Amino acid sequence: MMDLLMRIEASGLSTWLRESPSLWAFPFVLTLHTIGLGLIVGTTVVVNLRILGGASRIPLAPLEKFFSIMWLGFALNAVSGVLLFAKEATTVGISGVFWIKMSLIALSMWVLTRIRTRVFDDPLIDTRPVPNDLRALAFASIVLWAAAITAGRLMAYIGPTQAEAGIQFGSR
Amino acid sequence: MNLAHLHLLLNHVPTVGFAVGVCLFLVALVEQDEKQQRVSLGVLFLVAVLSIPAYLTGVAASEIMQDRPGVSVDLIRTHEDAALSAFAVMELTGAAAWLALWQFRRLSRPPRGMLVSILFLSVVAFGLMAQAANLGGGIRHPEVVSLEETVTPREPLAGTIWLNTASVRSFVNDTDWVWPACEAIHFMGLALSFGVVLLLNLRMLGMMKSVAFADLHRTLPWGMLGFGVNLVTGLMFFIGVPEQYTTNPSFQWKILFLVLLGVNLIYVTSRQKVWAVGPGEDAPPTAKVVAASTIFLWIGVVYFGRMLPYLGNAY
Repeated sequence: MMDLLMRIEASGLSTWLRESPSLWAFPFVLTLHTIGLGLIVGTTVVVNLRILGGASRIPLAPLEKFFSIMWLGFALNAVSGVLLFAKEATTVGISGVFWIKMSLIALSMWVLTRIRTRVFDDPLIDTRPVPNDLRALAFASIVLWAAAITAGRLMAYIGPTQAEAGIQFGSR
Repeated sequence: MNLAHLHLLLNHVPTVGFAVGVCLFLVALVEQDEKQQRVSLGVLFLVAVLSIPAYLTGVAASEIMQDRPGVSVDLIRTHEDAALSAFAVMELTGAAAWLALWQFRRLSRPPRGMLVSILFLSVVAFGLMAQAANLGGGIRHPEVVSLEETVTPREPLAGTIWLNTASVRSFVNDTDWVWPACEAIHFMGLALSFGVVLLLNLRMLGMMKSVAFADLHRTLPWGMLGFGVNLVTGLMFFIGVPEQYTTNPSFQWKILFLVLLGVNLIYVTSRQKVWAVGPGEDAPPTAKVVAASTIFLWIGVVYFGRMLPYLGNAY
């Protein structure tokens, strides 16, 4: 395992991300990761709040395309995330917070696909009140994404990774 | 032009702007002129938006000025604390003014109590800002301060005991969890406001055309909530370690983009042409230009926020 992580970290791409002073290297990938976060969590939280009863005059069915923007964000963050991982594979790979974040994202994505099927494969969704279990899924989705964001931020502070410019916890 | 110069230009906006806004609003309330009420609410909101760079450049100016001979650091600190309280109440007033503007669309008119509260808040904000301005004037214009005032150490101003620069700074820096917690919340606020920005502006650009704009308009306060959370957490970073931001070009661009977004927000919140876009209808060309610029500016804010350590000196 460590062997593999070391090979990843020693690769040309990882080294370039780590050592290049260019704004198009690490800073650009990090920005893409943040925009991707905004796309996924932004679009899904708005749909979730609507499911929970906010702005209830908006019909749900036409939001399908809007909801799908989430996949654009997910693709963006899968790619940028792999790059960010490769840059510091040996430290991120053994970080507990990182694996907690990955589990939270896996759970979040599973909940999202459940929501997607329940809402957008149901032609009668706008003709009756939102069922309680769908509301529970929407609520869980918001909580899971908030937790995933928190875990992501904490990677810079807890554990072996101070992924962002080597910040030490508390010594800012 | 340096940032102290910019502060000298911007620092007149909160006091003069609110004086004009409050007078317009008072007359509009007395005469029950709804159109003028909306205009004055817009003025109060935009002045609150411009108070953000006025406050931020003030901190930059204090860094430039405090080592100069003949400048009282004590007076600068008192001015800074007075400005912080005034700024806090002014932002609260701006948020309430925006909410009332939104209610003018959503409910046809805001509740009477709402408008009276805004009048009260704006008068308090103006009073506090005038006090801060008066203290600030004394930093470089000794003629406005009596000799006695310049030599006696200053008592803390009433109201700055519970909110002052030093207490915010020590809260942010001396408690381990505050900075990471604020960062996590800042990212959640980012996601919430981006979601609403996308929903409204993509509709105007032609996505989800079957939805009436008036229905999506209801989600605007969610986006504002996200922005409010980020203003508070962002200010905690700024007050905590101001030297990371004051001269950071990335930060200056970010604030400029935010101010422009404030102008776009007024357009989206209040224009009849936008409100009237019904199910299946195409938005007018101006609305499309504003929508595209809003998405562009918003991505710019994220970009410059992320670039703080790389284009500038934040760490």
